[in-house]
Amino acid sequence: MHNIVSVVDETTAQHLQELRRGTVVLACLVTLERPGYGYALLETLADAGFAVDANTLYPLLRRLERQGLLVSEWNTDDARPRKFYRTSPAGRDLAGLLRRDWDALHTAITDLTEGEPS
Amino acid sequence: MTSLTDRYVAATVRSLPETQRADVERELRASIEDDVDARRESGADPETAEREVLIGLGDPAALAARFSERPLYLIGPTNFLFYRRSLITLLAIIVPIAALGSGLVHALTGEGIGSVVAAAVVTALSAAMHIGFWVTLVFAILDWTGASKNGPLVRWNLDMLPDAPEKRALRSDAVTSIVWLGILLAFLVYAQFFPIAWNVDGPVREPLLAPALWGFWLPYLLVLIVAEVVFVLVTYRRGAWSRLLAVVNAVLAAAAVVPIAALALAGDLVNPDFLAAFDWADAENTRSVAGIITAVVALGIGAWDAIDGFVRAARSPRRRRAA
Repeated sequence: MHNIVSVVDETTAQHLQELRRGTVVLACLVTLERPGYGYALLETLADAGFAVDANTLYPLLRRLERQGLLVSEWNTDDARPRKFYRTSPAGRDLAGLLRRDWDALHTAITDLTEGEPS
Repeated sequence: MTSLTDRYVAATVRSLPETQRADVERELRASIEDDVDARRESGADPETAEREVLIGLGDPAALAARFSERPLYLIGPTNFLFYRRSLITLLAIIVPIAALGSGLVHALTGEGIGSVVAAAVVTALSAAMHIGFWVTLVFAILDWTGASKNGPLVRWNLDMLPDAPEKRALRSDAVTSIVWLGILLAFLVYAQFFPIAWNVDGPVREPLLAPALWGFWLPYLLVLIVAEVVFVLVTYRRGAWSRLLAVVNAVLAAAAVVPIAALALAGDLVNPDFLAAFDWADAENTRSVAGIITAVVALGIGAWDAIDGFVRAARSPRRRRAA
């Protein structure tokens, strides 16, 4: 997915970036149904086609935690202590709402493209 | 780990609130080390891996701003337009008043034109800098404290719509004309009482214009200047030029420049005692050439002003509508 961005011109890249901006939050909330830590999440999202910068993702996780959408816990079992995030019930509710909105947008765009009244 | 990561993490958390600092430091360090390890496993050498990871994270101050959700600008879009309007309004009102006041004080204490102008310029610059600095500071504090999050301080409404373009153009014309007429008036009065030029012996005390002109022509020109101001105000109030206004404008222009040109050609405009203070200006040739140049320039300005009035009248939207 992100290799599309690398070959298109700047204007297109900017539009793509704007379209995807909000989807990172949804991707995080969905992915963190299973607890995960910063760098691992970065890898998971990159593999799934969400090319998020590390300096965007780490502050984002803290913001979502502050908003009560994620909960965190330090895991000190490994040699390297890591902060694990998990989606909270409020985060799950928001993810559901965002997905419904996403689906509604998809339907709306499809209808517009095919010229049918929505 | 090595000192680069230590320095990076320290630089990032330095500006964060005390309560977050330890937690962010620990997490950021782990994330950096994870990334470095991943790169080493795929074959990069440790030092290069660390450098790449830190360069990828970018300026630690920017990262810190993202952690603390602080803006990376001085004045955000919420209040920027209000900021710009405030700044322009204050500059436009205070700077000229300050410059004029300072120039006036220096002029009244009998200083030469050079130091009067210098005082006015210095005052204008320092007033502009003060206004710029303090207004910007107040708005930056508003953004910094998050007060701008509640929306703009002044909401835009329809009353703030600017006047129609013709009206705006007329107003700026009126302001420009009145400022120039004011400067001319001030100069005529000032040149009568204070030296405006210097020769090798110091300031030239003789007035520039021939003293005999006070018998009739200078009072006449002063009255014309006042009439011109009234004319400019009437034009502005009417909101558009008309054929009648153009004729009045041409008459006023002719009434001013024809006598000036005639006086200049006859050599009666400039005070001979004033010219006598300068060796180079004292010759008969210089005087007649200067007189001709003055006359030509005066007539040129007058003709241009008169023609300009008729052009404006022809272009006036009100006339077009009436036609």
